[in-house]
Amino acid sequence: MKRTLLKAGVIGLLVSGWVSSNLVLGQSDPSGKKRITDTYAITNATVFTAPGKAGTKATVLIQDGIILGVGTNLSLPKEARVIAGDSLFIYPGFIDGASDAGITKPKDLERPEGFVSSNPADEIAGITPWRSAKDQFSSSGDKVDDLRKTGFTLIQSVPDGGMIAGKTSILVLGSPTSTNLLKDNASLAANFRGSRGMYPGTPAGVMAKFRDVYENAELTQQRGQQYASVAGVKRPEITPTYSAMSEVINGQTPVLFTTPTELEIRRAINLQKELGFNLVLTGLEEYEAIIDVIKASNAKVLIKLETPSDKSIKAQKEEVTEATKAQYERVKDAYSKAIAQAGKLEKAGIPFAFTTVGTKPADLMKSLKVMMENGLSEQGAMAALTTNPANILGISRFAGTIEKGKMANLVLTTDSLFKEGSQIKHVVVDGFVYDYELTSKKKAEANGEKKDSLKVEGNWDYKTESPQGSSGGVLAIAKEGDTYSGTITYDDPSGSGKTSAPIRDVAVEGNKLTFFFDVTASGMTIAVEISGEISGTSMDGTMSIAQIGSFPFEATLSPTLISNN
Amino acid sequence: MKKQSYFLAALLGLSIQIATAQVKKGSVLIKNATVITATKGTLENSDLLVQDGIIKQIGKNLNAPSGVQTIDATGKFLMPGIIDAHSHVGLDVVNEATAPITSEVRMKDMVNPFEVGIYRALAGGVTVSHAMHGSANVIGGQNATLKHRWGSIDPQDIIMQDAPRTIKFALGENPTRVHGRGAGIQPRSRMGVEAVIRNGFNEALQYKKAWADYNAKASGKGNTTVAPEYDERLQTLVDILDGKIIIHCHSYRADEIYMLINVAKDFNITKLVFQHTNEGFKVAPEIAKYTMGASVFADWWAYKMEVYYSTAFNAAILTANGAITSINSDDAELIRHLYHEAAKTQRYGGMTDDQAIALITINPAKQLGIDDKVGSLEVGKQADMVIFDNHPLSVYAVPLMTFVDGVKYFDIKENADDQRLKISATEMVEPIFLSGEAHRCMQDTEFLFETTESLFNQKH
Repeated sequence: MKRTLLKAGVIGLLVSGWVSSNLVLGQSDPSGKKRITDTYAITNATVFTAPGKAGTKATVLIQDGIILGVGTNLSLPKEARVIAGDSLFIYPGFIDGASDAGITKPKDLERPEGFVSSNPADEIAGITPWRSAKDQFSSSGDKVDDLRKTGFTLIQSVPDGGMIAGKTSILVLGSPTSTNLLKDNASLAANFRGSRGMYPGTPAGVMAKFRDVYENAELTQQRGQQYASVAGVKRPEITPTYSAMSEVINGQTPVLFTTPTELEIRRAINLQKELGFNLVLTGLEEYEAIIDVIKASNAKVLIKLETPSDKSIKAQKEEVTEATKAQYERVKDAYSKAIAQAGKLEKAGIPFAFTTVGTKPADLMKSLKVMMENGLSEQGAMAALTTNPANILGISRFAGTIEKGKMANLVLTTDSLFKEGSQIKHVVVDGFVYDYELTSKKKAEANGEKKDSLKVEGNWDYKTESPQGSSGGVLAIAKEGDTYSGTITYDDPSGSGKTSAPIRDVAVEGNKLTFFFDVTASGMTIAVEISGEISGTSMDGTMSIAQIGSFPFEATLSPTLISNN
Repeated sequence: MKKQSYFLAALLGLSIQIATAQVKKGSVLIKNATVITATKGTLENSDLLVQDGIIKQIGKNLNAPSGVQTIDATGKFLMPGIIDAHSHVGLDVVNEATAPITSEVRMKDMVNPFEVGIYRALAGGVTVSHAMHGSANVIGGQNATLKHRWGSIDPQDIIMQDAPRTIKFALGENPTRVHGRGAGIQPRSRMGVEAVIRNGFNEALQYKKAWADYNAKASGKGNTTVAPEYDERLQTLVDILDGKIIIHCHSYRADEIYMLINVAKDFNITKLVFQHTNEGFKVAPEIAKYTMGASVFADWWAYKMEVYYSTAFNAAILTANGAITSINSDDAELIRHLYHEAAKTQRYGGMTDDQAIALITINPAKQLGIDDKVGSLEVGKQADMVIFDNHPLSVYAVPLMTFVDGVKYFDIKENADDQRLKISATEMVEPIFLSGEAHRCMQDTEFLFETTESLFNQKH
């Protein structure tokens, strides 16, 4: 809570930069959060109003979270705070078709006395269509900040849960004091995850149970109508599940099915054909071979904004047998296909958007660039970030483009968006301006201080944040010739105190450092991957543990020990 | 070659026509083979002509119509495609083990055409397999009958669409362990197993009546009867009672086999096949009289208490008593040499060539209700067949080519080594799960025996 307040305070200060804190506290708003003005003019910037439109020099005037005008001859009101946009490029705010940012999974319910695993209550079995993402969402989540920093202004927030997790909410990533809710019950989140140790326990059971829930929701509605019109009819049993399904069976609310793979996509489409709901496929990772099937189904599509790692491709060795070479080729081929999928989807004329569920915000733009290097057009990429999700979510009246009357959701960059080195300087969400520090990489390079000056060796004090709390230690890196080696200390997982491990596979590329180390705990060895960007004496990155997750990793180079090298 | 180009087409994303097209049907003339028909004896030096997936002619000196490929099979043996009446190959999920009856679950939902086990089965001459639900429940899910059209990317294309519906039942230790001991509910004993089945069918009768009553009144004016709850679990049991679904029941002991025969008689069920049936030899006359027979292992038993007592003569005794008998694999490895398994009955039981061949062709076809379409080499039937270098019951026999609907899906000489259809984009060496590949009857049930929460996290 403290942290949230602090952040809010910082944002407030950024927004009203020149106001001294004393003055703010002197006003009737003791929190200091109230804005001085909600009118902004970003003058003389290069504005890209919609995908495919060329950038034109213009001023964008916004007030009360609405775009008042875009043009060259706007008369600016006195209260407008002017942001000189001469060197800036403005794009419509990005829209995340399905997001897990800021979502906390509700606690699993206690199993009641005499619990029968073959016939559990809906709520325990993960069938909770009445739940809403807005109740699980908190704008203070780290991923929310990170997502906004990447240019995302609007999200469809997806609840976490079982096979029918609940309804999604469309939220704007704006003021921390607002509910930011644009549309509730936007779609019904479903997936093929079974419940642990109870019915339905597998995707096979989930498909059967989904049919059961759907058919009985229809019958319940039918009984209700009969009850309302005919006397002497038995009172229909109305359950939260069937009530919450009624909008779905009436076609008002689509089902957002998480279907990463080809076979799962087909399974969702089969259910859709049998039962007749409106279908949005989300989280697609592998779909290259069945784009025609997806197209024929008329389902809407949200692909995962992530491309597979190229590590194993790069790790292929030179001198291998013919048989191994043939296997290498197949992996390469699979990789090339995977990164070219988005482009194929575009060419097939499917107006897809993205989902960031399960992704790291810091990697989103990198993944998008890989897709663009492999067939996705710039216009297609922009559409997938803006107009397509607006259409899919049914919010294009007020979102997706820069137009008079639309929501003031903007991304302001230092160069044309997809150009190497372009950085996001401001993100405007619902009329609130978020400022971001530019990294000085470009400057440093311009001054002739290239990669060579990058200081990797030395003793780094690091800190990580994980659900277990924060921890830290010392990372010591030595350089011999062109190779790096070293050790890392960390909290001993099998007891108290610290232990250490050698680091391996240290790679430095540009200002990016990656390495691994192995943690042994209760007989198991877990590989931990650290990757981060070094600027000066600080490193910012992530610590990833397979099947567990990624956590923030920060380190600073301890100055006293460098001279010892 | 044809197969390869099909394979390439799928890989190159030219799948648009293929995915929407019907399954492929081939035409081929096989010359001068020893044709083992399985139903009409063995024909020396004979030819067999397939057109559009159907056997058109069997005889001597047949000529290939224009455009039809000829394969010289001089000195080779041609037999019907082998049919495995008990398999779990090609399924993403085997057990929905969470309730004593899960008849609403469909294995057709879970078919995975990319599983390389399908190709390995083809390499063992198997063209049709019965992809079954597991044996964790008294009444398990509905099975899928698969045709091994390797290279298909649509699960629908490897499902034998014209095969009748079948369902898995299981008696004895598995369901009592999972539900009685594991979850503390009925059935805890063999008596409980019988009660679950009888209660299920009685409920199904009530369900059928409730809907019949409602449907009779629904259209009437001012109708006050409301629609009953929809229950696909009970509806499936109704379909069994109505003769629309063949029961395939996992069973070992003679007493439980006889129990189910009595239950079936009480509910007028005639479409019943026993699986495993290791003590089938003790009740062979009863099986022959009341059921569609038994599908057994050649010589596999003593892997748990209830299957301690069996014999390699089981198939021969069942056959001698007039029971329709088949030999199955229930295993991704055994499925590759079912012809050897069938041959074992000649060593143990002295079965004739025709009898032994029938165990893996026409007999399993009868048990799956597809004997009018496959299971023998006869004019008018679907051209599922295998060419062997030696007599298939010889220990030296090696399958050379396997055809489904006249399309060659396996060729020992021409096929590339790497037959995987799905390749990971990120793993140079893909993990192989030894336990998952083999005996999968009880797959997905491990959690029921776990004692600590920590073990949960080990499973994918």
